[in-house]
Amino acid sequence: MNNQPDAPQSTDAGASGDIQAGRYYGRGIPYLPIAGYPGKLIAIEGTDGVGRSTQIQLLREWLEVKGYGVVETGWTRSPLMQPTIELAKSSNTLNKLTFVLLYATDFADRMEKEIIPALKAGFVVLSDRYIFTALARAGVRGVDRLWLRNLYGFGIAPHLVFYLNVDVKTLIARVLAARGMDFWESGMDLKVGDDIYDSFRAYQSKLLKEYASMADEFHFRVVDARRSIDKIQDELRKQVAAFLEPEATLKSEG
Amino acid sequence: MTFSLLHATDFADRLLYKIIPPLKAGMIVLADRYAYTAFARDATRGVDRQWVRELYSFAVRPDLALYFRVPIDMSVDRLMARRVKLKFYEAGMDLGWSSNPVESFRLFQGKVLDEYDRLVDEFGLEVVSAVGSITEQQRVVRALVSQQLQINHVEIPDEQPA
Repeated sequence: MNNQPDAPQSTDAGASGDIQAGRYYGRGIPYLPIAGYPGKLIAIEGTDGVGRSTQIQLLREWLEVKGYGVVETGWTRSPLMQPTIELAKSSNTLNKLTFVLLYATDFADRMEKEIIPALKAGFVVLSDRYIFTALARAGVRGVDRLWLRNLYGFGIAPHLVFYLNVDVKTLIARVLAARGMDFWESGMDLKVGDDIYDSFRAYQSKLLKEYASMADEFHFRVVDARRSIDKIQDELRKQVAAFLEPEATLKSEG
Repeated sequence: MTFSLLHATDFADRLLYKIIPPLKAGMIVLADRYAYTAFARDATRGVDRQWVRELYSFAVRPDLALYFRVPIDMSVDRLMARRVKLKFYEAGMDLGWSSNPVESFRLFQGKVLDEYDRLVDEFGLEVVSAVGSITEQQRVVRALVSQQLQINHVEIPDEQPA
């Protein structure tokens, strides 16, 4: 609570890049111990319209052909929260704090019901966006960064985090060609102006900056997403293979 | 976790719409349950104690927090006397400790009361014995509230009419 004189100042209990992959970032979920689970968690991060879902689709097919069990999970896709989040977005009552907490609830539901059971059963979990999306969006909106990292202390540090990096100019061209700009992706709730193009540009530039600073903090594997779909996929597969089958990869290269 | 986070979302919404505006206007806000309920209930459900405290660090610290304490047996007796149908989550049925709602309520709420006892010292809650009559309790409450109002010199700001 505010003004609490003896509040423990914990700076070491939240999400950070120093946590070993496959462990909880912070205080975790005490009733769900995860040590020793055989599954692997791979997060694909990147801003709106950068091509994440296409890459995940291709990665999934390739992994399944190789004989891996694959589970996909994605932002706001929990059956518990998706309708609530859609409803809340369509009204004008959301503020940045409730926004953050709704996303966190969705993520917690997917952690307990999808991600942890899949890791326990030895699946490769492909996560379309991960906590970094929440950290970036809320960070841009001025939510306290330490509080956010403590909040997501129940998240699991992924084995691999790929960050599909793009510049704002390329992004604008792609989004306009594909489907146009949308209210939330343009950060119109921040009310920087009425013009959706200007708002999109300003908001996405800020988001990209947040991601860039997290790339160091959380050791992202940065992938240049301005290239063709195939080139990007090749790079992802190479890195995933090197991680999942280090010996096979060495042999084929040697 | 989702139980804890959904309640926190609801709390954040009420804090920003129902609690902070009247406080800014110099009014007195009476909150029926506060973050302490979450601390006690979520910890009993196995959520990390410190994590819940950090989660709620956006809350305003109350000027006065009253904790109405009653032994678990009396709590159960009172509810039964009114033939209240125990709610699923209130009875902690989600934890699967007992298939009998009354027994589950006793086990779960008993643990919740233990958590509240921790909070009394940690957050300086004023304990009001809820064993006595309503009149007796109200006398204690009024004394505590009056004392608090005097300390804080609560006055309704007298604005000059334009």
